[in-house]
Amino acid sequence: MALTPALSIGPFVRLKLRISRNGLRGRPARIVMFVLGAVAAGFLAIFGYAAFATPGLLDSARSAEVLFPFGGALLVFGWFLMPLLFFGVDDSLDPAQFALLPLPRRTLLAGLGVAALIGLPALATLAATAGMVDTSARLGGPGAALAQLLGIICGLLLCVAVSRAVTSAFATALRSRRARDLATVLLAVVAASLGPAQLLLLGLLDQADWRSVQLIAEVVGWTPFGAAWTVGLDVAGGRAWAVPIKVVIVLVAVGGLLWWWSRTLERAMAGAATAGSRRGSAVTRADGRGPVDQLLFRWWPRSRFGALMARETRYWWRETRRRAALITLGVAGVFLPLSTAFGSGGSGGRGLAVLVGAIAPIGLANQFGYEGSAYATNLATGIPGRLEVHSRAAAHALFTLPMLLLVALVTGLLAGGRPESVPATFGMLVATYGVGLALVLPVSVRAAYALPDPSTPFALSSGGGLGKALPSLGAMVGAIVGSLPVVLAGYLLGPAWLWLGLPAGLAYGLAAYLVGAHLAGGLLDRRMPEVLAAVSAR
Amino acid sequence: MSIPAQRPPSEGGTAAMSLRGLVKRFDSRLAVSEVSLEVPAGSFYGLLGPNGAGKTTTLSMAVGLLRPDAGQAVLLGYDVWQSPAEAKSLVGVLPDGVRMFDRLSGPELLAYHGLLRAMPADVVDQRARDLLDVLELGVDNRTLVVDYSAGMKKKIGLACALLHAPRLLVLDEPFEAVDPVSAALIRDILQRYVAGGGTVVFSSHVLEVVERLCSHVAIMSDGVLRMHGPLAEIRGDRSLQDVFVQVVGGRVATGSELAWL
Repeated sequence: MALTPALSIGPFVRLKLRISRNGLRGRPARIVMFVLGAVAAGFLAIFGYAAFATPGLLDSARSAEVLFPFGGALLVFGWFLMPLLFFGVDDSLDPAQFALLPLPRRTLLAGLGVAALIGLPALATLAATAGMVDTSARLGGPGAALAQLLGIICGLLLCVAVSRAVTSAFATALRSRRARDLATVLLAVVAASLGPAQLLLLGLLDQADWRSVQLIAEVVGWTPFGAAWTVGLDVAGGRAWAVPIKVVIVLVAVGGLLWWWSRTLERAMAGAATAGSRRGSAVTRADGRGPVDQLLFRWWPRSRFGALMARETRYWWRETRRRAALITLGVAGVFLPLSTAFGSGGSGGRGLAVLVGAIAPIGLANQFGYEGSAYATNLATGIPGRLEVHSRAAAHALFTLPMLLLVALVTGLLAGGRPESVPATFGMLVATYGVGLALVLPVSVRAAYALPDPSTPFALSSGGGLGKALPSLGAMVGAIVGSLPVVLAGYLLGPAWLWLGLPAGLAYGLAAYLVGAHLAGGLLDRRMPEVLAAVSAR
Repeated sequence: MSIPAQRPPSEGGTAAMSLRGLVKRFDSRLAVSEVSLEVPAGSFYGLLGPNGAGKTTTLSMAVGLLRPDAGQAVLLGYDVWQSPAEAKSLVGVLPDGVRMFDRLSGPELLAYHGLLRAMPADVVDQRARDLLDVLELGVDNRTLVVDYSAGMKKKIGLACALLHAPRLLVLDEPFEAVDPVSAALIRDILQRYVAGGGTVVFSSHVLEVVERLCSHVAIMSDGVLRMHGPLAEIRGDRSLQDVFVQVVGGRVATGSELAWL
């Protein structure tokens, strides 16, 4: 894409600027947003420049060799995330809008790419990474500075290519329900892992020695994410031979992304017209299994309970909010004990494990809300309340109990370093889970509420969030309080608890669950139509 | 709870559905007011009314999905609210504006319904295959119901309602969003079902369908049952359209207004 497209890039740039300007005209809120964005970008630029220039001022090549690949990779990652987080905010150059214009794809690519380079994020990135040039100049003289300048330009190209390709792929992908489901789950996973990841990172940094960090930094420096940012340092460090190789690595990555982008771009443009045309098209897989065998697993009972539990099990996986809840629980379950183990040397691990047992039942706090008015099916077929409650709890336990076992293993083997305590910890978790279920099940019948339509990935719960969440929070606290006898017994009994813990915990949890399920079932028998009305969105 | 045998001959004289003084209030609005209706066994009963007339509310109360503020609903001799298990086992329901368990595939959804009705697995399999075949939904179609088109959703809903061979079918807007070919198919199935002794109650606001299919008609508006009885009596020598417009109180263009058109 050398000369011909260059002639026609101008209109794209003018279009982008015009759209940006018109978007601001007469809209104070947007202007405020723009100014805030500009301030943030300026802050980022200054902060980034300062950070990247510091190693040069300190004359510390070693710290630069760690900071540049990591900082640069973080920048690329940021550009990757940006369209995911702000998708739909900046659609000023949505490819679908060019679908009807007779533009060659190359022109469109070049135009949109250059237009993306003109904007605050690109300017801020360039300004921030200019600090790297500064450092390279101080460490290795003009040669190194020149190499680093080339590096940061390549890096910026990579950033923009990543972001455009992801945006375009997203525009195409989000048109199908499957992908919107996936986006919802991914969002939940990212949200769930932010906290633990931070703790884990801090814990790792606490323990890691400088050598291994350097080693990782060097490896990152040879990947497309970090290669562009380290060429100046290579010159300064006498490894000038590395520069062409790294530049090629980055350019190949950019080329690959552009190729991918050009493919998704075509579909993004066509997608505007063909969206939804595949609705209802048959996905067939003829393996001769009858409808019942398709619903139930082989060893499942062919009964009402079996059907209810099978449907519920499939829903925990196929319904996005439920899957998101499961994944969040899994992440929390593994990382809560781990992160404290790094922080405090393992003493708090077991306490936090109990917390996981108390969080687990929360997924059922609004169990009828997940499926909404579909509950009418069970109501119209006259399913008794206890059967309903037991089947749902059983399906939840099918996912949760293995997870609790995993938590017990992680706590015992990795975090606390006491393998012999694993069975007792598992018993304690089950006890907490059982008490939690006993409290949550009646809540789910009594305080069911409608959730927003699941077909939109970023739909937020409609108002009154705290009021609706209060009962389940109460149930969580109640679960911890209710399982105190088991926890206390664990501390008081000492060594004997290692043997007693598992049976005692299981029995305690099961008993609590049976009482709660009995209550909830009876309550449901009296309130079925009211539950349906409560979860049907109006 | 047992599966009704292959549709026993209907007892003469008993009403298949009997509503007595049903009342439902949403906040302060009276949605359904004192609706009483006798549906004779073996009839094809059409419930007509403009949007918002209270048809869905009435049918929901009749099949036990919505608790009435007052009144009684008796299905085939069983009170829906006193002995729900018996009443519900004899009735097939196609609700409107209600989601199905749509993260299941069509065959899975049918199997789910069948097992919830406590039918033996082999019977469920055989009937589900028949229904999927006749309604052209495909026995091996693994597409989730959520990805079905509107017409396919109606058809799978109807299949779920038919699966346990109920003696009474309550269908809310069964022809909405259904293409003409599928609509003809559904009409055929329902007509054969009634000819075999079953009873169908369905709501619609498409007069032509009601006029073609029904033996009995009831007309609702503003939550009140305005008229009900055999189609011939209701219609008299006029068209159903004229009766409907007159009863509901809509205006008929006289030709004097909009004269500039």
